[in-house]
Amino acid sequence: VSTNFTPVLDTLTRQRGVRASLVVSATDGITIESNLQIGQDGNRVAALAASLYRKARRSASAAGLGLTGFMHLEAEGGRLCIIGGDEIVLVVVADSDANVGLIRVEMLRAAESLA
Amino acid sequence: MAVPDEVRLWSDELARDPSSLVFLPLAETLRRQGQLDMARKVALRGLERHPHNPDAHDQLARILADRGDLQAAFDEWDMVLRLVPGHTGAVKGMAFIRFQQGRKDEAERLLRQVQAHGDDSDITAAIGNLRFSGGVLAPKLPADSGDPRTLFTAVLASDQNGMLLDKAGLVFAGSYNTGGRDVAQDVGANLSGVSDEAFRASKHLGIGAWRAIVFETEAAVVALAPAPAQGALPEGGLVVVATSPGTPLGLLKRLLDRCLQRASSWLTGGGGA
Repeated sequence: VSTNFTPVLDTLTRQRGVRASLVVSATDGITIESNLQIGQDGNRVAALAASLYRKARRSASAAGLGLTGFMHLEAEGGRLCIIGGDEIVLVVVADSDANVGLIRVEMLRAAESLA
Repeated sequence: MAVPDEVRLWSDELARDPSSLVFLPLAETLRRQGQLDMARKVALRGLERHPHNPDAHDQLARILADRGDLQAAFDEWDMVLRLVPGHTGAVKGMAFIRFQQGRKDEAERLLRQVQAHGDDSDITAAIGNLRFSGGVLAPKLPADSGDPRTLFTAVLASDQNGMLLDKAGLVFAGSYNTGGRDVAQDVGANLSGVSDEAFRASKHLGIGAWRAIVFETEAAVVALAPAPAQGALPEGGLVVVATSPGTPLGLLKRLLDRCLQRASSWLTGGGGA
């Protein structure tokens, strides 16, 4: 079934090195829609990414830094990029050599189109 | 700080007479106690009955600023200015917000706007501080002072902040200056929890150990990385770098790398602060 999120996720997943892209409920970490490569556990990614983003948002706000926008976790074997708001977050899992700059631009564009 | 009894008395009075202006001191006391959600509710209820009261809008703006809702706070102070043109407190508040958002030119323009309408020594001093420090209202200590707070002074510009935190989120070295104060302890304590979540996420996603987190906020772009477990700093420490919004993320990563090197050198006794 195609939804408003489908073209957004398709565009993100076409980026080089992107393994998965998901739209996730910000409050409970449940997947709303996903575009996954084989071997990616969407539910796990959704829950962990939403939890990380929620924590970052709360911490930044408590530290007086205001609202959080784009977030990027870099690890030895991959990257997690997240952007979102109170209700939904957009998540991308990518290889460690993926072009984060391009992914960020696409995610900002996608977040605008979904707002 | 007001004793809890005062809060109760004001709450009772407000319950008896909902149109009373006692919501103002009640909201301010709750704000000072850090009960920001409750303070916001009290201020909003007061504003429902007194929508044209500039003090009420000013009070709500302060609460919103404390909550980190910077743009909403700015809008409230803008409303105060519409009700009372030239309201000094509102302009100072708006300038503070613009400064926090990295829009320093606009912050200075706002302060000068008030200065043009009459001499205010506070405004003059604020402009002086803004210019003197190149944007940071609290001048930093010189890099060679030997003070741990100056650890990253040599690698960061005056409007950039760097901290070395231990596992508990306590500041080991570095500083975080904003609004004329060093708020490193507050910011460090709040941000340190993010690393636990990052550890969990990277572990369960099978993407290896986490190396850095970068996130963009209204007031700053922040980068965190695990600190080198060397010298007196056990494993679990963090290096935090914060720069003004709009800083290219590539530059921020370079600054983070330089701060990590600096921290490593300092922890192993190679100097730094």
